[in-house]
Amino acid sequence: MVEQTVVYDSGNELAAYAAKQINYHMMGYFPITPSTQIAEHLDLLKSAGLHDVKLIPGDGEHGAAGICYGGTVAGGRVFNATSANGLLYALEQFPVQSGTRMPMVLNLACRTVSGPLSIKGDHSDIMYTLNTGWITLYAQTPQAVYDMNIIGLKVAEKALLPIIIGFDGFFTSHQKRRTYVITHDEDVQGFVGEYHPPYSALDVEHPATFGSYMNEPDLINNKYQLHLAMEESRNIIDAVFKEFGDLTGRYYTAVESYKMEDAEAALFILGSSYGTAKVAVDELREEGKKVGVFTINAIRPWPKEGIYDAVKNIKALMIADRQDSYGAGGGNMSLEVKATLQDYKMAIDTASRVYGLSGKDFYVSDAKVLLEEAYAMSQNKQVTKFDYFGQYPGKEGYNPHQYFKPLTLEEQSPGITTVTENEETGKITVKGGIPIQSTKMPKRIVGGHGACPGCGIFTNLNILLKGIEGYVVLLFQTGCGMVTSTCYPKTAFRTTYVHNLFQNGAPTLSGIVEMYHEKQRRGEIPQDEKITFIMVTGDGGLDIGMGPAIGAALRNHGMIIFEYDNAGYMNTGYQLSYQTPKGAKTSTSHVGPAQKGKETFTKDSPQIFAATNIPYIATVAETNPTDFMKKAAKAQYYANHHGMAFMKAVSVCPLNWGHQPREALKIMEAAVNSCYHPLYEVEEGITALSYNPEKNNKKVPISEFYKLMARTKHIATSPQYAEILEATQAEIDRRWERIKAKAEHPLL
Amino acid sequence: MAEYKIDLPKTNEYGFYEMRLESIGGLGANLSGKILGEVGALALGLNSSSFASYGSEKKGTPLKSFIRWCKEDQAIGVITPVEKPYILGIFHEALAGKVAVTAGVDEECAVVMNTDKSPDEIREMLKLYGGSVYCVDALKIAMEEKTRINMVILGTIAKASGFIPLKAVEAVVKDTIGRKYPNALEGNLRGIRRGYEEVTSKQFKNDDRYPYVPYKDVQYDWGYENAPIGGINPLFASMANNDMTASREGKVPVFHVEKCINCGLCDITCPEMALVFAEGEYKGKQQMVNTGVNYHYCKGCLRCVEICPTDALTEALERDVDVWSMHEPYRDFIQTKVEFEDMGSNSIVDAESGVTNNTITIEQEE
Repeated sequence: MVEQTVVYDSGNELAAYAAKQINYHMMGYFPITPSTQIAEHLDLLKSAGLHDVKLIPGDGEHGAAGICYGGTVAGGRVFNATSANGLLYALEQFPVQSGTRMPMVLNLACRTVSGPLSIKGDHSDIMYTLNTGWITLYAQTPQAVYDMNIIGLKVAEKALLPIIIGFDGFFTSHQKRRTYVITHDEDVQGFVGEYHPPYSALDVEHPATFGSYMNEPDLINNKYQLHLAMEESRNIIDAVFKEFGDLTGRYYTAVESYKMEDAEAALFILGSSYGTAKVAVDELREEGKKVGVFTINAIRPWPKEGIYDAVKNIKALMIADRQDSYGAGGGNMSLEVKATLQDYKMAIDTASRVYGLSGKDFYVSDAKVLLEEAYAMSQNKQVTKFDYFGQYPGKEGYNPHQYFKPLTLEEQSPGITTVTENEETGKITVKGGIPIQSTKMPKRIVGGHGACPGCGIFTNLNILLKGIEGYVVLLFQTGCGMVTSTCYPKTAFRTTYVHNLFQNGAPTLSGIVEMYHEKQRRGEIPQDEKITFIMVTGDGGLDIGMGPAIGAALRNHGMIIFEYDNAGYMNTGYQLSYQTPKGAKTSTSHVGPAQKGKETFTKDSPQIFAATNIPYIATVAETNPTDFMKKAAKAQYYANHHGMAFMKAVSVCPLNWGHQPREALKIMEAAVNSCYHPLYEVEEGITALSYNPEKNNKKVPISEFYKLMARTKHIATSPQYAEILEATQAEIDRRWERIKAKAEHPLL
Repeated sequence: MAEYKIDLPKTNEYGFYEMRLESIGGLGANLSGKILGEVGALALGLNSSSFASYGSEKKGTPLKSFIRWCKEDQAIGVITPVEKPYILGIFHEALAGKVAVTAGVDEECAVVMNTDKSPDEIREMLKLYGGSVYCVDALKIAMEEKTRINMVILGTIAKASGFIPLKAVEAVVKDTIGRKYPNALEGNLRGIRRGYEEVTSKQFKNDDRYPYVPYKDVQYDWGYENAPIGGINPLFASMANNDMTASREGKVPVFHVEKCINCGLCDITCPEMALVFAEGEYKGKQQMVNTGVNYHYCKGCLRCVEICPTDALTEALERDVDVWSMHEPYRDFIQTKVEFEDMGSNSIVDAESGVTNNTITIEQEE
């Protein structure tokens, strides 16, 4: 057997470690809980110079899947990891990957599909992949995650099909375990062997067309080939399982069972719960109840022969699903297991339970309840055929009281700002925005939200909303702003608030805005009821959501897009976003001997929106609150009269930028005075500076900003990063000079 | 490594020796849990697992870390939270008595507490059914040794366990943290050793003064019969009954009305909407005036202290002042009695008695 080492790692870390050992050509990824640690850990290992996997952060999971597809078409070994809605966002690419027969490995840390948004684990995501033509293995433990990552690549390349390695989000992805890894990378590489793709887009001496346009009569043949490959993969999986067992001593089988030989009743359960159910089986066996449990380590191809072998002696079977196929009378595992029983014409009494949704814990006592029900069936007792397990009705007579009255129009219109449009010149003038007067504006967001101490998001939202008079409807894309303020059963919002997922806020708010206009036009809501619509995004929401936001801008809906730029995906633990400064440390752009932080400059989102020719763009900062409030008021005026307004504030993140919460103002002053975040507006295409630090001799080099934060201090202070500092200064200067030049030019 | 192969002195019905750490995000309990997991797996020759209560990545939120050990050849099929710990580590006094941190604690349990108080005082503070209390002033030691309190508490846990060799903890810390942060290693090791040595402890038998707090999963008042459909929440601004005290790290702002020029900048910078302004009189003029700080919401970030141009807001150690005598409630609450709940709402473990301990009732004037 091969030499192995004991480590203490989580499923995610082990997936990354296997990828490091395999030394894939490429990982295209986009961070999503709970799979994110895989890219993070692989990046950490890369910064230490331990592998050369090229990590490419996609603009979203769909983009990441495209990057991966490109990598495989180009004949390389490719790796990815995702979860939940990330999987669904990428799903369109899955049949492309399998239908064109491009092997790769995807780790799926399984998580609840939204909405409502949940970050915890269940199997609602992976079931969407059943029809995509990917081989799918399921790992019960962190050890299995490691092993199946090595097994999976070999299977995929032999079958010429992509493969999913699924495992339970958090339970398996995050719990750390004592685990064995193969000591030497060469032994892993020796096991998986070399990959020689039959076709490659880089083989220019043998030109080929990848992705034919194919209708009838041909497509059915292509799919039949896929079906044959999937069938053949059964043998490949068995053979590679055996080979891996001989190498490591750990033998896997497509179906795994415990005390099924003489069992009268059994439980079928997938994933980490299988281990729990085994403990419950032991307890019931002590009571003399002949029960057993079985699971599958391969979902596709479906191991029906193994299932038959497991169940052939039992009388009753409880099937536990950690998801539901609503209206089908059971989750997907129930449907498939029952189909297998039918195939073999078996007269086994079955029942199904949907359990553990959104990571609801599955205790040994819960497993016992399910096994007891199976046992009761085997004793010819009736049980409910299909039900949920673990739901509760709520407290009888619960009559929650409101803490506040809804804010009236008058209360929300204290006249902090006044906006006038000169009818002749069209020039819009805003007055007011005095901080003490702004305290009259009631809070549309109340205290008690769960953001970190000193968080810039809520400071910025507060200033923004001080500048918005009247009724407000807010829409938040996913991010720290929303997860800290709307955790059920509570909400911090005193005004109407809507959430939609990371990439789709702008289209959703477009729909709300246009419905408002249409209902007003039809007289269904009062004609004179003015509502201001604001989309709030940050935490990288304008990476994955940039395309849809630009679409909304090009349609010029009457709404405000407000970006709090905190320069990373903070709600998932600070992965790089395109807003992260070049050279900055993040959990996917580590700084180490072999890597110097993030590779590219920060994204210039106001200029991207300026190119859409929407009527109003403004940058704002908490350092200049009057300017901020007046711009909010102007944005409101534009949104209500002319079309879209875009506002961007840089927003401190003490936790991940690495500074004391109380230093927020000092840091933001440096951000503004270094022109990292210049304050200006673009009104009907005409740029005007709001603040010029050069005028009062306030301008400072970028290093004065960077040195204040752990994320960038190395760039400002260590000679090793002089090149990055110099390049950054040059880029900041270039952007600043262009803004100034535009401000000076009457047409720009 | 496995140089200190040991047999577990006691295990539960499933064969596990289990520990639970109660903390606040940012204090390093997650790392302590990971190190204890590694001590089991890599130094003591045990099978081992550890994990934290999961949520979004935030600082200042109550969190739990769980460690589960068993014999090397036993599989770890139980992956649920630790319900009945043999060791309970409490990283912050603010957690005591509010969140139900003592669920599952009985006479078998050793409670390790970061405090400058005595075991008798802590027993009262925690309303402890019974068990051994090990007090360590981890904050003081950490400051003196330039380490973090999680390292000190690791030392105390080793002591309280009665069987974890201090050398095993030191070896793992050397091997993991030491490699990553070599400069901090000496301080960390001194912190661990002092945590092991500078402990005051006392055994408490159950004397029927306080009830046993059983472990219980969270259930809210809304369920499938009475919750509005679609997860839609019509209880706007309902977070206003959250109390964020546990998020503060020792310091609070104090408002001095006589120095205030009512510029409103504190209300601009405060992310917590914790400054309460109202119509009033300043220099003979009717205008908005600052009436003070709402300490339910204040997380002690001190942004307001930094921005205040006249020292009308200054910082103080929370233990030196009585924040509730200075507290300024929101003025537009329509309830006269508001039950405030400790924030974090206990993402994984809860206990029934915790719910009553969990509330601070304030009387408000209409």
